Amino acid sequence: MSTMLKIENLHARIGSREILAGIDLEIPSGEVHAIMGPNGSGKSTLAQVLAGREDYEVTAGRILLDGEDLLAMPPEQRARAGLFLGFQYPIEIPGVNNAYLLKAALNAQRQSRGEQSMDAFEFMKLIKNKMELMQIPKDFLNRSVNQGFSGGEKKRNEVLQMLLLEPRLAVLDETDSGLDVDALKVVAAGVNSLRSPKRSMLLVTHYERLLELIVPDRVHVLAGGRIRRSGGPELARELDERGYDWVQVEAARS
Amino acid sequence: MTVTTLKQALAAPRAALPGSAASKDVRAGALAELGATGLPTPRREDWRYTDLKPLVDAELDFAPRSPDRAALDAAARALVEHGVPTDAPRLVFVDGHLAPELGTLGSTSGIEVRDLDTYWLEREAARGARLSTAAHPLAALNTAYAQSGVWLRVADGARIDAALRLVLVASGAPKVVAQPRIVVEIGRGAEVTIFQQIVDAADTDGWLNVVTELALGEESRLALYRLEEHGLRHAHTSLLAVDVAARASASLGLFDLGGRLVRNDVDVKLREPGAALDLYGLLLAGEGQHVDDHTRIDHIAPDTRSNEAFRGVIGKHGRGVFNGKVIVHRGARGIDARQTSDNLLLSDQAEIDTKPELEIYSDDVKCSHGSTVGELDAEQLFYLRARGVDEEHAREILTTAFATTVLERIAAPDIRASIADRVTARLRTLAEVSR
Repeated sequence: MSTMLKIENLHARIGSREILAGIDLEIPSGEVHAIMGPNGSGKSTLAQVLAGREDYEVTAGRILLDGEDLLAMPPEQRARAGLFLGFQYPIEIPGVNNAYLLKAALNAQRQSRGEQSMDAFEFMKLIKNKMELMQIPKDFLNRSVNQGFSGGEKKRNEVLQMLLLEPRLAVLDETDSGLDVDALKVVAAGVNSLRSPKRSMLLVTHYERLLELIVPDRVHVLAGGRIRRSGGPELARELDERGYDWVQVEAARS
Repeated sequence: MTVTTLKQALAAPRAALPGSAASKDVRAGALAELGATGLPTPRREDWRYTDLKPLVDAELDFAPRSPDRAALDAAARALVEHGVPTDAPRLVFVDGHLAPELGTLGSTSGIEVRDLDTYWLEREAARGARLSTAAHPLAALNTAYAQSGVWLRVADGARIDAALRLVLVASGAPKVVAQPRIVVEIGRGAEVTIFQQIVDAADTDGWLNVVTELALGEESRLALYRLEEHGLRHAHTSLLAVDVAARASASLGLFDLGGRLVRNDVDVKLREPGAALDLYGLLLAGEGQHVDDHTRIDHIAPDTRSNEAFRGVIGKHGRGVFNGKVIVHRGARGIDARQTSDNLLLSDQAEIDTKPELEIYSDDVKCSHGSTVGELDAEQLFYLRARGVDEEHAREILTTAFATTVLERIAAPDIRASIADRVTARLRTLAEVSR
């Protein structure tokens, strides 16, 4: 099985504070990996650095997506190369409606692949079923992006965007946080519908309950900016029972 | 064509002033007052950021002739290019002269069109509320030199369905100082929508100095939209004076999209209880442009309400000014006055001066104001880029979105669409040159 994402010795800092202290991670094509870890372990930083957030400075290491140097690309080029970041805190954009954002994103990526822009009719056909799957009402398309949305609506909107853009690699940053059980099921159904041998996913999460619904191939535990343990889905249950203290103790010792 | 400087124009003899014999007293009177007051300079607080010196130094044509065939043709083409519908009731001024060939009010009933001379004569007798030359010196210049004007009277209780279009066209003739005068009196309980559109057939070194006076009778309703868009050479000054009677409401949407030197004054008097004002606008300025919007709202009577919201988008090497003055007069209780000014700078070489001024001489008053100046939101930019939208397009989307919230307040769909077209096109240029 070919490697889709390869992260080698990744170091990143914000200001003078180092947050990622040497991450090594490989995700083969078709696999779903989860990154778990206590608050402040660097989980969200990793997701943001993957997407190209300029607030973080990468001081060492490299990231390859399908063999291509991700760090050399601006955020939009990473998205066009097939990377998708589901935001932990989706941004509100008053004055830009959802239909406009979805079309702009889809067409930007289609154009970069040399495909034609999609017209309004085709777009509506494409988005309709996906909205139903995510239980998003029709009037949503005319509303400003994330403005006045509940926490659950924002997260479902992130997954809707992912379903539309069909990324090679989806990085979902705490897409489960702030969701009740029903919303969590909807989100999980959306994510699971996209699982495929040609697509990989990286789920960043604090809680094990998401991983009951989206069962990962591998689980990694991040603490102090490095991956401390890796294992199968059972590792997530172990963390759920024992908490993160023992990982942090190990991190402190190393 | 006779060109003179502004100083020479101020000293002109009575005989050199345009208009009929009947109007000479009013015109000469205004000119004498202006001569005594002098032209505004940046030493005056309310003219601190806007210097008329380029206009004072220029040689200009203060008495442009009526447009000839070529000028009318150029104006007609400009009307088509700017999407002014031919079948709409419209009055067209070309270089300050009313051009009946290019538009009429058609079959619109409920509006009486009278000439300016009658207005000058009757107004001296009938209304004490003359525009103050001290407060509005350029309005006095307009009084003295107005080529033509209209006095529209909307009958009591009239409901005018189609928007009246008042189109001010610069034909492209050089050095023209166009000074039309528009007076609209809205009868008791009447409702009317006016769209004042300012169109340049070519970007010349002319100057439009327009005065619009609106008087709202009791319980009347007015929606007025203004779209002003000049290029890099044309100068523009204006006064919009609005007088609101009991329980009448005015909604003014002002879209000032550029010009070499632009100064717009808005002066609203909420004269009787229950008078209400919605005032909103968008101010755009790019390289080589200076756009100054000065507004003043007087809460003269108790139980009056004003809600003002302006947004500015300034591109690289552009300069904007917003000054919003609100005065609550002595004894005017039960006042609700809100004001916001939000501004977006597209470059670190863009500048805006924004200043709220509240003067409150009464109690039982609810007043609020807030102003912001900022750049595009970095989080929003990243979000769009993370979806594959390139940075340039993302900036354009967010800049348009900032302005769109003002456009959404335009009630008339066709007017909203035509203003939105111009705003979007102008923003695209501003965003491009500001990168």
